[in-house]
Amino acid sequence: MKIIACIKQVPDSEAKVKAEGGQVSWGDAPLVINPFDEYAVEGALQQKEISGGTVTALCVGPESAKEALKHALAMGADEAVLVSDATLNDLDTVGAAKVLAAAIQKIGGADMVVFGRQTLDNGAGLTPAQTARVLGWPMLGLAGQIKVDGGSVQVERVLEEGRQSMKANLPAVLSVVQSIGEPRYPSFMGIRKASKATIPVWSLSDIGASAPAPIVTRTELMNPPAQETATEMITGETPAEIAEKLADKIIAEKVL
Amino acid sequence: MLTLVEKILFVIATLVSLYFTYRGVMKIVGHISSGQGKVDWSLIWKRIGDLIVKVGLFQPVFRFRLGPSILHGLIGWGFLSFLLINLADLIYAYTGFKLLNNTGLFGDVYRLIADVANVAIVGGILAMVFRRFILRPATLSTRDTTLLNPKARTGIMRDSAIVATFIFIHNTMRFLGESFGLALAGHADSWQPSISAVSQLWAGVDANVLVAGEHIAFWLSIGAVVAFLPYFPYSKHIHLFFAPLNFALKPERKSIGELSYINLDDQSIEQFGAAKMKDLGWEQIMDSYACIMCFRCQEVCPAYNTGKLLSPAALEINKRYHFNNGGTSDVPMLDLISEEAVWACTSCGACVDICPVGNEPMRDILDIRRNLSMMESAFPKQLETAFKGMERNQNPWNVSQGDRMKWAEGMSVPTIEQNAEPEILWWVGCAPATDARAQKTAQAFAKILNTAGVNYAVLGKNESCTGDSARRAGREDIFFGLATQNVEILNEVAPKRIVTTCPHCLHTIKNEYPAFGGNYQVIHHTQLINELVGAGKISMNLEGDNMKVTFHDPCYLGRHNKIMDAPRDGLKSAGIETVEMPRNGAKSFCCGAGGAQMWKEEEEGTTRVNSTRFAEAKSTGADTVAVGCPFCLTMMTDASKADGDSMQVKDVAEIVAERMK
Ligand SMILES: Cc1cc2nc3c(=O)[nH]c(=O)nc-3n(C[C@H](O)[C@H](O)[C@H](O)COP(=O)(O)OP(=O)(O)OC[C@H]3O[C@@H](n4cnc5c(N)ncnc54)[C@H](O)[C@@H]3O)c2cc1C
Ligand code: SF4
Ligand code: SF4
Repeated sequence: MKIIACIKQVPDSEAKVKAEGGQVSWGDAPLVINPFDEYAVEGALQQKEISGGTVTALCVGPESAKEALKHALAMGADEAVLVSDATLNDLDTVGAAKVLAAAIQKIGGADMVVFGRQTLDNGAGLTPAQTARVLGWPMLGLAGQIKVDGGSVQVERVLEEGRQSMKANLPAVLSVVQSIGEPRYPSFMGIRKASKATIPVWSLSDIGASAPAPIVTRTELMNPPAQETATEMITGETPAEIAEKLADKIIAEKVL
Repeated sequence: MLTLVEKILFVIATLVSLYFTYRGVMKIVGHISSGQGKVDWSLIWKRIGDLIVKVGLFQPVFRFRLGPSILHGLIGWGFLSFLLINLADLIYAYTGFKLLNNTGLFGDVYRLIADVANVAIVGGILAMVFRRFILRPATLSTRDTTLLNPKARTGIMRDSAIVATFIFIHNTMRFLGESFGLALAGHADSWQPSISAVSQLWAGVDANVLVAGEHIAFWLSIGAVVAFLPYFPYSKHIHLFFAPLNFALKPERKSIGELSYINLDDQSIEQFGAAKMKDLGWEQIMDSYACIMCFRCQEVCPAYNTGKLLSPAALEINKRYHFNNGGTSDVPMLDLISEEAVWACTSCGACVDICPVGNEPMRDILDIRRNLSMMESAFPKQLETAFKGMERNQNPWNVSQGDRMKWAEGMSVPTIEQNAEPEILWWVGCAPATDARAQKTAQAFAKILNTAGVNYAVLGKNESCTGDSARRAGREDIFFGLATQNVEILNEVAPKRIVTTCPHCLHTIKNEYPAFGGNYQVIHHTQLINELVGAGKISMNLEGDNMKVTFHDPCYLGRHNKIMDAPRDGLKSAGIETVEMPRNGAKSFCCGAGGAQMWKEEEEGTTRVNSTRFAEAKSTGADTVAVGCPFCLTMMTDASKADGDSMQVKDVAEIVAERMK
């Protein structure tokens, strides 16, 4: 089976992200693979382990995003492709979907394209569905478990109300959630192999696409209002006394 | 003395014996040289003085179990003196010439030594036999749960019995033979009082009987040596050759905990760490031959003492028995020690420190971890968080580097950007910089430095983890990255001196960064505190509350870096009464956090390492445990909490800062 995992590079979750002059800034915090996309790679690798085949990690982003792709390689992806182009400036999710779809076609199609549920920075969560639409493939969103059976794929979704199973024919686009399983921690040998890998960089013309015009524009970026927090230690002789005081406080503050 | 036939027979017996001994020895040489690295023979000359103390005086033996060590001294020194005695006996047997009767006072004194040694050895070995076979202390064996070669369970005892028998026969027969000789000569020898006394018993015995007795005694005494020689390469008693070799040839280490350098930039390296015995250094393979199977290392091991599967002694013994059973060094290390045991080690170094023959079980364990972590990616899952933190945010707490100076908010702590040429660079360390409890140590130390008016600076955001935990967890790649980066920054700053608030940082920067081209003078914060007190830069209010403090030596401060007086002096200068725990200084018992244990759950055992140590601290009657390490601080604080906050746990810097005028 041929599987593509779409990943994006984002600032580390520990980064202090701020709006500065209408631009997002994360200081000199490290850039990492979008944590939700680690689940996408994990899901893809699980399917490869079951059915055989290959996993290709695909990313649209700047040259620096190679590091995120290397993480996917280190986890066990067979190949990685970066689409990078100076004209890709004002990319919205529709634009990202168009570029991704063109790159997927250029790779030669796939049986399954696996996405994360959303990104840590922009977090629209739309790209997977939009990519499916551009490709004209079925979309199975927020999958917790994946089961391939011949030419079809079945996913389990965990909902608040219960479970839902959905099925579609391959090729299909999937997005996965955490219950797919903890992403494997890249082994040193994997990192070593990945560090030696050369990752092809495709421009828009390489994949036969042109810079998509944005249809959504960002009008303003603001920092969240600063929150005043204070800490108060509740003390007491016995745990029971402390618990009682705490309960009183919670009720007094109308938290409950 | 011998007849011609006897002379010929003895030569043949010796040749046969030497041939089989040679074969045994060559097997050993083959096994040892299948290990990594080369022998540096020139080390011997540099170490002559050390060798005299260690091999001649058995100093390492006397550091533990005094009683048995004295018995060992009797036998060991006796045997050393017997080298010349046996030679003299041989010359006499072949020529009838008594070397020691014809070399003036030297010979006289030597005969006296021989007389005493003979009695000492026999007495010593009988006492040892009594201890091992009658008293049977538990410290001379291992629990059933320890992975130990089944043949070793009985083999060690059998080996002891064989060698004790050999020693007993060799020495009593030599004694008797000599007494027959004296009886034949018809006069006592005042230089051999005990032998003379016994020779009195043979007064009136027929001369022919005495001559026959002398011959039999020769064959049983010197003959015993010839008979036992081929067995030696298979016995633990071969330690009498390999212990000296160990002391003479062990590659130089800056401290017992300095691990070997691996160049991660070298793409040609295919194997990291030890998957098989042959991946160990040659000297680590030699350890198994030096091992006398005394289980001292096990007796001091915090993991073993708290019921874990790990026994450093069992590892060395298994290596040896594997060879004895005909195995080669192509054996997986995990056949010799269980994976769970490998992860139970706290890298406290107690086993290396106490081993009377200079073995380094800890080094093997950490080499196995390198293989598990790097080649197999098989390490306790909980370590992942720390690894990721070190990979992404250069610290195991995974705190953003931007927050690294948060602990100093509201204080004036100059960074290197603000004070480019400080007298001393303060390496704060990840824990004091980011861990809520340890930050108090950093704040206390900053207060001391500021009060004393020290010209210092910190690296601030440019300070990363030294990589200690990664290295001891086998992730040499992460360590390599951090070490390379830190050395680059430090070399740029070119500090005159470095002070650290963490013994692990101290150890790594001082002993392990030189391999990366970083050579610095590094001291611990308690050492600097003492300097400041000595120079009158800070003075203490001695009228404070009367604390009774016991100091817990952090492994990487005391045992690994021999800094033991400074923290105690620091407390003393603050007018504090200190009491010692039974295990202190170089023999301190681990808190349980080292060797990356800080980042994972303890393996299953009967108790926890920290609570064991805490109980010991409490037994002193002190109200406060003083520490000099942020990891110890966490472990002891946790143990105290679990014990209903029964003792205060504080860093020496905190205690000093509180009492500073
Ligand atoms: C006005 C505006 C300007 C922007 N300018 C830029 C810009 O200059 N450069 C830039 O990089 N971004 C830019 N962005 C952000 C960019 O639009 C989004 O990152 C992108 O459209 C994906 O949306 P998202 O991050 O919300 O992803 P989501 O829809 O939340 O992502 C869901 C999943 O889609 C996949 N995915 C998302 N993005 C990618 C990708 N790039 N490559 C591969 N897989 C992906 C991942 O699997 C992810 O888990 C801009 C956004 C706006 C609104
Ligand atoms: S280093 Fe410490 S914990 Fe590890 S084996 Fe040696 S004594 Fe035991
Ligand atoms: S390694 Fe050293 S301390 Fe341990 S059993 Fe062997 S000789 Fe004794």
